[in-house]
Amino acid sequence: MASRSSSSHPAVAVRGLERAFKGGIKAVDGLDLEVPEGEIYGFLGPNGAGKTTTVRILVTLLRPTGGEARVAGHDVVSDADAVRRNIGVALQEAAIDPLMSGVELLRMQGALHGMRGSEARGRATELLERVGLTDAGGRRVGQYSGGMRRRLDLAMALVHRPKVLFLDEPTTGLDPTSRNALWREVRGLNDDGTTVFLTTQYLEEAEQLADRVGIIAGGSLVAEGTPAELKSRVGEPTLHVDLAEGADVPAARRALSTVGPLVDCADDARVAIRAARGKATVPDAIRALDDAGIAVESVEVVSPTLDDVFAAVTGSTLEGAGGGAADGETAGVGA
Amino acid sequence: MIAAAARESRVVGALGRRALTLQFRRAQLLMPTFVLPLFLLAVIASGTSAGRDLRDFPEVSSYLGFVVAGTLLQGALLAGLTAGIAMASDIEGGFFDRLLAAPVRRTSLVLGRLAGTLGLAVLQMAWFLTVALIFGASYPGGVLGAVGAAILAALTAVGIGGLAIAIAIRTGSMNLMQSIFPFVFVLLFTAPAFFPRDLLTPTLHDIAAYNPLTYVVEGARGLLQDDASLGDPWLGLAAAVGLAAFATGLAVLALRDRARRT
Repeated sequence: MASRSSSSHPAVAVRGLERAFKGGIKAVDGLDLEVPEGEIYGFLGPNGAGKTTTVRILVTLLRPTGGEARVAGHDVVSDADAVRRNIGVALQEAAIDPLMSGVELLRMQGALHGMRGSEARGRATELLERVGLTDAGGRRVGQYSGGMRRRLDLAMALVHRPKVLFLDEPTTGLDPTSRNALWREVRGLNDDGTTVFLTTQYLEEAEQLADRVGIIAGGSLVAEGTPAELKSRVGEPTLHVDLAEGADVPAARRALSTVGPLVDCADDARVAIRAARGKATVPDAIRALDDAGIAVESVEVVSPTLDDVFAAVTGSTLEGAGGGAADGETAGVGA
Repeated sequence: MIAAAARESRVVGALGRRALTLQFRRAQLLMPTFVLPLFLLAVIASGTSAGRDLRDFPEVSSYLGFVVAGTLLQGALLAGLTAGIAMASDIEGGFFDRLLAAPVRRTSLVLGRLAGTLGLAVLQMAWFLTVALIFGASYPGGVLGAVGAAILAALTAVGIGGLAIAIAIRTGSMNLMQSIFPFVFVLLFTAPAFFPRDLLTPTLHDIAAYNPLTYVVEGARGLLQDDASLGDPWLGLAAAVGLAAFATGLAVLALRDRARRT
């Protein structure tokens, strides 16, 4: 079983990682990243960006063709067995026997990690309770919902108390309730000290869970930082004011320009300014408009999203990014 | 050293249990492994029993007791083939990745699957011998002879399983594994499964000499009939063990090669 004592090495360290497939196509091309212990690292990118290939290398299922990668202080090629002892893996599309029960699968996973029968049985009971599957544990997995399968998959990855947990698109295809339940579980695991390496194409997931986010495109890292850092690189929040019907737009623009720099706006009945102080800008804007006698329909502060960050660093948007995570907050309704 | 061996044996045991459990929960695998050989036995026993009157046919206590050795062999072939199909299914479905990401010896992954095949084959052989006994077969070799024949067949299942697993690992294709099914009958009928070798056509007789399954089925027959002239059990054991060892090695090499290639 993996030891949970802290150590000086990063949980994941990747230097110049490369993986070329037949025909010379490079799925991963000179990737560098480092994940300290105890962090939730969100690895964000569209389909085909190289996320899954990177994870498969880190969990020793695929050999790199260049560079090096260390997980929990062990080289993924020369010390693969030590890596395997320290990681938990829940890959895309939970590969679980539909004809086996949850308890049977957890006990088998325990045996794969060297547990004796009674120890594996005890751990299976504990984990089923943890992921809320105690009542379903004896049922065959074929009768489980998608969310239940994902939770069981997560429980299987945790059997040996891994130091580093790899989750490859863990909530793809899940309904919002199941997704939230899984997020809570991931946060709980991280609170217990587990480092989580999470790949996702859902912006909201990265934003909700990750301490830091790495954006991969074309096989290499194009941006990295906390969600707030990444968004601040794209720009400041914007205050959008929808004017009441018949309002004097030029007067509104003049009034708002005293609060912040004007931003071009496609809608004639809307005026926008930069709002460096975010929501704190709203009272000033309302006051300025009120003083000028301008009637307002609504006011909204829109912050840059990770999608904006992604668009800025890659020149495209995330395909299928269901959790668009618009940071817009309707802050007030017009007078 | 002992602790590591005990750990790996737990892995092999767990994987073997899983393989066997799934075998019994997949109705589509039970049909070929437990029912099909008995159909063929019924056809052979009722349709070709006149062969017993041929001049060179050996003296046996019951014709059914003579041909059931062929059923054991057929069961072994099918048990082995299903091991390959199950392995390909694990690879296609992604479950094999879960096993590969666990800190276990690659050899244990192959041995675990083969342990399931061995367990399945033992159950099959007991079933075939019992059904044949109920329908009138006699085993002059007694319980020991029956157990010996079952062991020979079960080891053969491991050998065929090893070959099938090696192919499954190389190809990762369940469709291809299923398409191999007809070749089982080629192997079966190029061995004297239901007739004495001396009654085969000269060409088939010559081919049979190179088929290791010939020595297995003759050895099993010799044990069941307690008649060494029908087949040498030790030669059968050597063929079965040799095939099992060779095929297991081949499967392990295929797995290592796969790990190198990926």
